Amino acid sequence: MALLQIAEPGQSPQPHQRRLAVGIDLGTTNSLVAALRSGLSEPLADEQGRVILPSAVRYHVDRVEVGESAKLAAATDPLNTIVSVKRLMGRGLSDVKQLGDQLPYRFVGGESHMPFIETVQGPKSPVEVSADILKVLRQRAEAALGGELVGAVITVPAYFDDAQRQATKDAAKLAGLNVLRLLNEPTAAAVAYGLDQHAEGLVAIYDLGGGTFDISILRLTGGVFEVLATGGDSALGGDDFDHAIAGWIIEQAGLSADLDPGAQRHLLQTACAAKEALTDTATVEVAYGEWKTALTREAFDALIEPMVARSLKACRRAVRDSGVELEDVKAVVMVGGSTRVPRVREAVAEAFGRQPLTEIDPDQVVAIGAAIQADTLAGNKRDGGELLLLDVIPLSLGLETMGGLMEKVIPRNTTIPVARAQDFTTYKDGQSAMMIHVLQGERELISDCRSLARFELRGIPAMVAGAAKIRVTFQVDADGLLNVSARELGSGVEASIQVKPSYGLTDGEIAKMLKDSFQHASDDKVARVLREQQVDAQRLIEAVQGALETDGDRLLDAEERMVIELQMQELSELMKGTDGYAIEQQTKRLSQVTDAFAARRLDSTVKAALAGRNLNEIEE
Amino acid sequence: MGTPCHFALFQMQPAFQLDLEQLSARYLELARGVHPDRFADASEAEQRRALEQSANLNEAYQTLKHPAKRARYLLAISGHELPLEVTVHDPEFLLQQMQWREELEDLQDSADLAGVAVFKRRLKDAQQTLNESFAACWNDAAQREQAERLMRRMQFLDKLTYEVRQLEERLDD
Repeated sequence: MALLQIAEPGQSPQPHQRRLAVGIDLGTTNSLVAALRSGLSEPLADEQGRVILPSAVRYHVDRVEVGESAKLAAATDPLNTIVSVKRLMGRGLSDVKQLGDQLPYRFVGGESHMPFIETVQGPKSPVEVSADILKVLRQRAEAALGGELVGAVITVPAYFDDAQRQATKDAAKLAGLNVLRLLNEPTAAAVAYGLDQHAEGLVAIYDLGGGTFDISILRLTGGVFEVLATGGDSALGGDDFDHAIAGWIIEQAGLSADLDPGAQRHLLQTACAAKEALTDTATVEVAYGEWKTALTREAFDALIEPMVARSLKACRRAVRDSGVELEDVKAVVMVGGSTRVPRVREAVAEAFGRQPLTEIDPDQVVAIGAAIQADTLAGNKRDGGELLLLDVIPLSLGLETMGGLMEKVIPRNTTIPVARAQDFTTYKDGQSAMMIHVLQGERELISDCRSLARFELRGIPAMVAGAAKIRVTFQVDADGLLNVSARELGSGVEASIQVKPSYGLTDGEIAKMLKDSFQHASDDKVARVLREQQVDAQRLIEAVQGALETDGDRLLDAEERMVIELQMQELSELMKGTDGYAIEQQTKRLSQVTDAFAARRLDSTVKAALAGRNLNEIEE
Repeated sequence: MGTPCHFALFQMQPAFQLDLEQLSARYLELARGVHPDRFADASEAEQRRALEQSANLNEAYQTLKHPAKRARYLLAISGHELPLEVTVHDPEFLLQQMQWREELEDLQDSADLAGVAVFKRRLKDAQQTLNESFAACWNDAAQREQAERLMRRMQFLDKLTYEVRQLEERLDD
């Protein structure tokens, strides 16, 4: 590719390359990927122009199907089609059993405590399923942006605990994504509105999704975001609105509440359609079988009032947790499809005494904000200065102490990163080891908290009870992930653990998955190599064409020129096909036959540059 | 204290009456410089250093921001480390504590939200008065005992503030 190396003095041969980074909203129901293009953050669409990728994965014997078509298969192939996998992320087998019969999957235990779902392609962990969604988004982004990604910012709910965050990171690794940062969803939404650019003061993010509600209070000061408090209700969402309407239909139509699953699904679809229609109209016709009546927005508002009230209560609590008053909140950002419901907007406006921000599509706002942050983290400067995000930990971290009690070491809503130490002592004479049990949660009893890790500090020198001084240090990084170390201060014996969350993957499992993913990725890899070969070939063709236009007549005779043109034509033909090897070989051939031409051009460029200068000038 | 003084970190003199706006501005400025996000591309060693510095900065900021923590820190650097839990000999304040608590219980029984608001205002005033008294005596070795007593009163009022918040939450249900 000698021809490419000719450049005018003082000009770099290649324009400044923007480092490609994306923001990913890995949602329970839907996922999106967004990127900054020409200064504007926007979601990236697939070939059909769809930006939303349903978070549904269907496993076939020999392939994986992700998105809309997989979602449609959920009813016909429920065992091999995984939906809402986010609910399983970082969860143990026992947690999953608590979710109960609502999940149709067959779970099996793995090497770790993580549940695996039995599919035709063998057991799949939630991490692998999420990785399959992320892979599709990665491919979409690389196709849309035309290059490899430096990394991605992936959003997680503010309430995600250590295990859930770690699981999300593992999934990204498996999908071949470099995680620049896990970002809390509310923070991403505030960034999307550019609130960091002008507003100073408190911002509330009201996020009502399909199945969960989150409220976060952020403070903005000179381009710095501080999360003051987060809260919410993990069992409150737009789906409940559908259920409320469905219940109303059952009551009005005098149906039996005991419907078969098919009828139930149909009823919920009817209810959901009515809900969506009521966003734009005051009355909607609701029909179910023979039965038919009108549902007014007023009646709908009354149906959902208890749920709206519950969300507002959580808002008040979060505001109190922040140590501020409702009036202090300067902006309210609406996130999640369910915030399209007029009554929700109205109630939020009343509660905060101001109109909430709704201009950006509430389904896209999180991914859009994540993309902006990804771009900054990838090293691309942006206008208006850099943005800094200061997050808090959503749940308290602590240790088990005597009597099965949780001793908090870092209380919730503490700004991260943070490191904090607490001293403990032995309770028996001559005690030589101490068990450190790391917990997460707000409750007093350890049985009500979540166990994150256990490890042992050994080699404590023999002393009477209470004489040893053991300092346990907790360190939480900017992603909210925890490291714990313990040290006996007298002897200096030490033990530490990078909290592999109890429900994370064992190293063996990660290794196996990586291996599997390489095998499954062979198709991806072939496609990727082919694309690279095509790009190389295209570049060479363009360079040769350019060179022929400017210097062809001057530096080549007719025969030489014909040889080059023939080889170039051959390469153009091959590029229409998918034979990567042939393309590569032909690229080499074209490069070879243009070598002499390239050398002559280089010579003449040098000669032209030297013409009319004296020796002194050149020596300088 | 193995780490440098929290006040020095923010280029401030040890004092109880602090310009909180200035403290917060300096904090944000420093956080910009050391936050791990600024080192997303850097070597592992640099990332670790950023993490440590950032954690240290956050700790210092939290300590200086809250009056009771700041008071405790001032006493610790100007004398000796104070045990967290001690039996307090402060009969005068003990009596007042009991009054506050009784009032709070009455408010809970009557579910009186307006009453809670009034209570909160009085609590704030009491905290303000305490802060002023502490500011006047902490730096005087002769009044050390009084300063420690005031600091413990501050801690108690913090706890009471937390209880009021919990009460508000219960009344909200």
